Amino acid sequence: MSVGEIEAGGLVFEGGGGLWREAGSRLRRKPGALVGFALVALFIVVAIFAPLLAPFDPREQNLTLIQNGCCPGPSAQHWLGVDQLGRDEMSRIFYGARFSLTIGVVAVAVGLSIGLLLGAIAGYLGGFVDGVIMRAMDVMLAIPGLLFAIGIVAALGAGLFQIMIAVGTTNVPIFARLLRGSILAQRENDFVLAARSVGVRRRAILASHILPNAISPVIVQGTLALATAIIDVAGLGFLGLGPQDPGTPEWGTMLTEVDRYLQSAPLLAVIPGVAIVISVLGFNLIGDGLREALDPKLRNRV
Amino acid sequence: MLRFVVRRLLLLVPILLGLSILVFGWIRLLPGSPAQALLGERATPATIAEIRHQYKLDRPIYEQYWGYLQTIGKFDFGVSISSRRTVAYEFEHRFPATVELAVAAMIFAIGLGIPLGFLAAKRYGGVFDNLSLVGSLLGISIPIFFLGLILKWVFAVKLGWLPSIGRESVLSESKHPTNFYVLDAIIAGDPGALWDVLKHLLLPAIALGSIPLAVVARITRAAVLDVLNEDYVRTARAKGMTPVVVDSRHVLRNALLPVSTIIGLQTGLLLSGAVLTETIFAWPGIGTWLKDAIFNRDYPVLQGGILFVAIVFVLVNLLVDISYAIINPRIRVS
Repeated sequence: MSVGEIEAGGLVFEGGGGLWREAGSRLRRKPGALVGFALVALFIVVAIFAPLLAPFDPREQNLTLIQNGCCPGPSAQHWLGVDQLGRDEMSRIFYGARFSLTIGVVAVAVGLSIGLLLGAIAGYLGGFVDGVIMRAMDVMLAIPGLLFAIGIVAALGAGLFQIMIAVGTTNVPIFARLLRGSILAQRENDFVLAARSVGVRRRAILASHILPNAISPVIVQGTLALATAIIDVAGLGFLGLGPQDPGTPEWGTMLTEVDRYLQSAPLLAVIPGVAIVISVLGFNLIGDGLREALDPKLRNRV
Repeated sequence: MLRFVVRRLLLLVPILLGLSILVFGWIRLLPGSPAQALLGERATPATIAEIRHQYKLDRPIYEQYWGYLQTIGKFDFGVSISSRRTVAYEFEHRFPATVELAVAAMIFAIGLGIPLGFLAAKRYGGVFDNLSLVGSLLGISIPIFFLGLILKWVFAVKLGWLPSIGRESVLSESKHPTNFYVLDAIIAGDPGALWDVLKHLLLPAIALGSIPLAVVARITRAAVLDVLNEDYVRTARAKGMTPVVVDSRHVLRNALLPVSTIIGLQTGLLLSGAVLTETIFAWPGIGTWLKDAIFNRDYPVLQGGILFVAIVFVLVNLLVDISYAIINPRIRVS
């Protein structure tokens, strides 16, 4: 999924039907959601234009800058200081946005597509297939997410691609359960019964009545999953399972070694951490706003 | 009620069986073989074959799986490759450490989260409400490892108030009959040891409890808001009951139902978070143990440990479901 597609995803609200149009207009009145969109927009812009924004090469080491074992703080030349190898911290943060954004989006896309497929099959077919799929999902959910992801990385080897697969896989059961539950709930609704009683075919009912209504919790969860994915990816990086080239400016990986420099250069821990928090906060704010905007029960309250 | 419990227990069987297959298959997918991991540099074709025979790795796959099921039944997973202690021994020492940390984190989260959420709902739309909303949003957006590093920097490195690693001071000579250090100190009646253990527990518990705190506060607030609009609350007020009685007997009691489910759901998050928290604070628990086992290809630990954590997780969720059915009769009927 490219950045363009994410933005296209946002545009759906403009052109969609009544529910979406209404949700879109309610979303615009929520200050929290607007802040969220601004933070995410900032995150995406930095990720795309990192080569133009970054003053230095993020991998370029300059050991002459290192004094007394560690790294000088902010200066006119290096606005956020340099790290333990004399690399410009700001450039590394900017380039790191690229990694966090792509890994997060790909991971969620993997989990979302497989999870939705399984959930739709289970919810639509029901019976034995439903039982098998959902028990398999229960088994996956029985292993704590991060351990599950670590296990997958252990089997595949450390690296960026492997992290995407690992975090994506942990998302599969969440989306499968969500869509299945949502489809089951919609199936009993009056408008579905009405459509069935006037003779609309099952497939048409699924496509035009059940799915559009069942999908809104998935969209909310998808946004929130992006936030969690960014944290999980950084967590795996922090544990040393990220990119094997230590020069790669990945935010989680950047936090791995700072423990030793807490005394002399605490900024090395603060800066990547704040970058993670800002991007995660952005997605969480949007997710919260969407949840309230899409909830039919809250529709008449505003 | 009995039927509900029996049905849930029966549902456990396929899940546990699936888990054992998953762990069994996954370990065979790991690059590098157990023989290689055991022998390291000394591996020759002959010694590898010998180890493979000794560990029954040359048998057909279904026989190996049956053997694995038997080890689970006997709870005998052999000796850890890296520590040379039995898996059961390590588990006995590390499991209490993680449970202690998780319980402390939950006490922090619930003890602070429920009052905060309740107050926010009572002052709906006010300054305190908005502050708590922003706070809880920040709470779920700050990664545990970042919060842990910051806590360590401020309270251990800068202020020097609290220790930054381990469960007790290196010089401590306390005995640990239960391996729950807080409990041990209380049993021994040693206030000095208790203080020492609590000081070590504080920062990791706050780091691990931060996300549950934010979640509990949010859910409590939402649940209390829902209940405050109920007819029975209005009726209770109309009858002239005092606000305190209405709040405690009608509002909180009903609002805590959704909160209790959420608390159960946090178990998995706590176990995941434990891996990171234990890494930052050098806490000798299950999380770091399994993480290191994965890095070191410590097969005996992986075969036993991961399965055991999953079983604990499944059982806790079952207990939560059952207790939920007890406090909420509506769920039994559906």
